[in-house]
Amino acid sequence: MVHDAAIRVLQEGGVRCDDERAAKMFEAVGCTLENDRQLVKIPEKAVMAALKTCPSSFTLHGRDDPTKDCSIGTGEVHFCTVTGRYIDDIRTGERRKVTRQDAIDGTLMADALENVHGLYKPVMWLFDEEMICNSQILTAEWMKHTNKPGTWVYNTGAEHEVADLIKMWQIAAGGEEEMRAKPHMLGHVVVNPPRVIDVHYTDWLIGFCDSGTPLSIESALMGGATGPATRAGMLVQCMVEIYALVVQAQSYKPGHPLAFCSFNPAMDMRTGLWACGTPEYGINGGGIAAMAKYHNIPVVGFGMSDACEFDQQSAFEKALKNYNYALAGLSWVIDLGGTAGFNLVSWPEMVLENEMVEYIGEYLKGIVVDEERLSVDTILKVGPLPGSYMKEKHTRNWFRKEFYIPELSNKEFFESWERGHVELQEKAKAKALDILDNHQSPVAPEIQQELDDYLAHCLKRDLG
Amino acid sequence: MAITIDEAYFDALADSVIDGEDEDCVRLVNDGLEAGVDPLEAVEKGLAKGINQVGVDFGAGVIFLPELAMAADTMKMGAAILDEKIRESGSKRMSHGTIVIGTIKGDIHDIGKSVVAAVLQANGYNVVDIGIDVDIDTFIQALKDNNADVLGMSTLLTLPLMTMGEVIEKLKEVGMRDKIKVIVGGCPVTQEFADEIGADAVGFDAQDAVVKLDGLMGVNRQVAVARG
Repeated sequence: MVHDAAIRVLQEGGVRCDDERAAKMFEAVGCTLENDRQLVKIPEKAVMAALKTCPSSFTLHGRDDPTKDCSIGTGEVHFCTVTGRYIDDIRTGERRKVTRQDAIDGTLMADALENVHGLYKPVMWLFDEEMICNSQILTAEWMKHTNKPGTWVYNTGAEHEVADLIKMWQIAAGGEEEMRAKPHMLGHVVVNPPRVIDVHYTDWLIGFCDSGTPLSIESALMGGATGPATRAGMLVQCMVEIYALVVQAQSYKPGHPLAFCSFNPAMDMRTGLWACGTPEYGINGGGIAAMAKYHNIPVVGFGMSDACEFDQQSAFEKALKNYNYALAGLSWVIDLGGTAGFNLVSWPEMVLENEMVEYIGEYLKGIVVDEERLSVDTILKVGPLPGSYMKEKHTRNWFRKEFYIPELSNKEFFESWERGHVELQEKAKAKALDILDNHQSPVAPEIQQELDDYLAHCLKRDLG
Repeated sequence: MAITIDEAYFDALADSVIDGEDEDCVRLVNDGLEAGVDPLEAVEKGLAKGINQVGVDFGAGVIFLPELAMAADTMKMGAAILDEKIRESGSKRMSHGTIVIGTIKGDIHDIGKSVVAAVLQANGYNVVDIGIDVDIDTFIQALKDNNADVLGMSTLLTLPLMTMGEVIEKLKEVGMRDKIKVIVGGCPVTQEFADEIGADAVGFDAQDAVVKLDGLMGVNRQVAVARG
C-alpha cells in the first residue's frame, strides 16, 4: 500500500525541479516534464527500472586497513558519530561553541574507539575560522586524523565546496582512482520537502556519482510541517522523495550504489523544532528499512536524541532507537557522541555510547546453538548440587565469548559501590582524556601534507 | 437577515480566529460591515481578542503550532478586509508594531521563520512574511511599502549569514537604520554574530523573539490567563 500510494503521488503530482540538468536526467528515463519543464511526473516503470539497477550492497572502506571496512546492505550494523555546534569541554567543564581543535579531538576520539565504525563531520562548523572555506578546513582536519570511513551532508553551500571536499577525500584515499575503487565516504543527497529536487543537492549528486562516492538518499521531511502529520503519510512522502532521487541518480549513473536513508522527524508542535528522539521518528526509520528490504536496497539513518544534555532522556532515546534500528536492518547509524539535534557533542559521551553500541552488538548475537554451546556433557558432569561450573574448563573456554564484560558500566556490589566508587561519567571522562593525550593519528604524514597543501590552495583562492 | 452587533457578535468573531475558521471569520466580518460595525472595534473586540487568547493558550501549552498558525492566517484574512475600511476612515488599528520577516537570500528554509511569524502575530504584532530566498532590495522595499518598524531575518545555513550584515548596511545607506529595529534568528546565529553585524537582537526561538521584540518596542504585557 505504501509503495502504491507513493507511486500514485509521483505519477499524479510529481516533483518540482528547478534545474535543467535534473530535468534532463528525469526526461532521459521516460518521465514527463510539465509546467515549463519544472514539474516532473514519474511513472512506476521508471521507479522500478531505477531500483533494479541499484546494487544490493556496497562497502565503505577503511583507508589503511580492511578491518575498518563497513559493509552496507549485507546485514552488518555500523555506528557512526554525529555532529554538533556546541561542546561540553572535557578539560574546563564549560559548554561552548566548537572550534578547529574540537574537530581534531573529535576525529581522534572516534578513531580510537573500536565500536565507532565511521564518522560524520566531527563538529558542525568551526566557529574560530572564517565561514568561507569552513568546510574545507574541517574536512582537512578530519581526513588528517582518521582512516575510518565517513558520511557527508552538504554544509555551507560555498562555491567550491563540492569540488574541494571530493578532492580532499581523494587525497585521503591516495588518489582519484583509488577512491573510485575503494570509496570511503557516503554522500547524502536530500530532497527539499515537500517534493522539490534541490539545485545544490544536484551539484552534490553529480559530484558524488562522478567520483564513485556511494549515495545516501533521504527525504528529510518534518511531519506536520514539510510532511503529513500521520506516520503512514510521512512514510508515503518519504518514499515519493526517495524514489524520485533514486530515479535521478540512476538516470545519471546507472548502477551507482546507493542506500535509502532515514532522517524524518515530526515537528515538535510546541517549538516547531524537529523532534528526533521520538518514537515516531524511530518508527519511520523502521518503515524506510522495511521499504528498502522490499526492494533489496541498503538502508542507513540518523539516530539522535532531543535531550539538551547527556542525561536519562538522551540515554533512553538513543538506546531504544539504535536497538530498533539495528533490528530493522539499518547498516549505518549516525548517532554517537551528540545530542540535542546536531547541537551538542561530548567526548566522554562518545566513550559511553561506544559501550552502548557494544551492548547492542551483544543483543544482536542472540543465542548461538551448537553441540559445544549446548553444554550437555558439562551439565551432566556438574549437577545436581553440590557442584559448580566455576572451575570447569568449559566455563573458562566460553565465558569471554558468551558473556558481555563491559569496560565502564557498573557491575559492583551495591554496598561496595556505596562505600566508594567512581561515577560512570568520570570513568568515561578519564578514558576520553587518555585518548586525547595519547592517541596518534594513523594517517600517513605524506597524506597529511598533501591535505595541508590543498587546504592552503583553497584558502589562498578564497581568502587571498 | 442582518446581524446584530453586540458582545455575542464580537465573541463569535474572536472564536472564529481561535478556531482558525477562515470562512466563518470572513463571513462574520462581511456581515458585520453590512450591519454597520465599526471596523476598528471589530478588530479590537473580535480579531485581536481572539488572537491574543491564542497567544496566551500557546504560551501555556494548551494549543500547538498548527492551531496557532491557522489562527494567525484567519486573523490576517479578517484583518485584510477590515484594514481597508479602517484606512478609508482615516484611522489606524493598534498593534505592537509592524515586522517584515523573511529567510535570507541563498536559503529556502521556511518553517522556523513561519513559526516565528505566527507566534509574533499571535502576540499582537502586525507581521508581513515575505517568504524565503529574499534578496537585499526586496527586504528594503518591503520595509518601505509596509511602513515597518522591525526587520526580521532568518537562516539555517552559514553562508547567507553574511548577507544579513549586508542588509543592515543597506539600511544605513538608504537612511532607514535609525527607524528600523533589526532582529535575526536561525540555527547558526549567535549573539556575537548579531553584535558583529549590528543587529538589535537575536530570537533564539519563537517565544524568545517575542520577548526580545517586546523589549525593543517597549511592550509591557499584562498577565493573561489560558483557557483550561
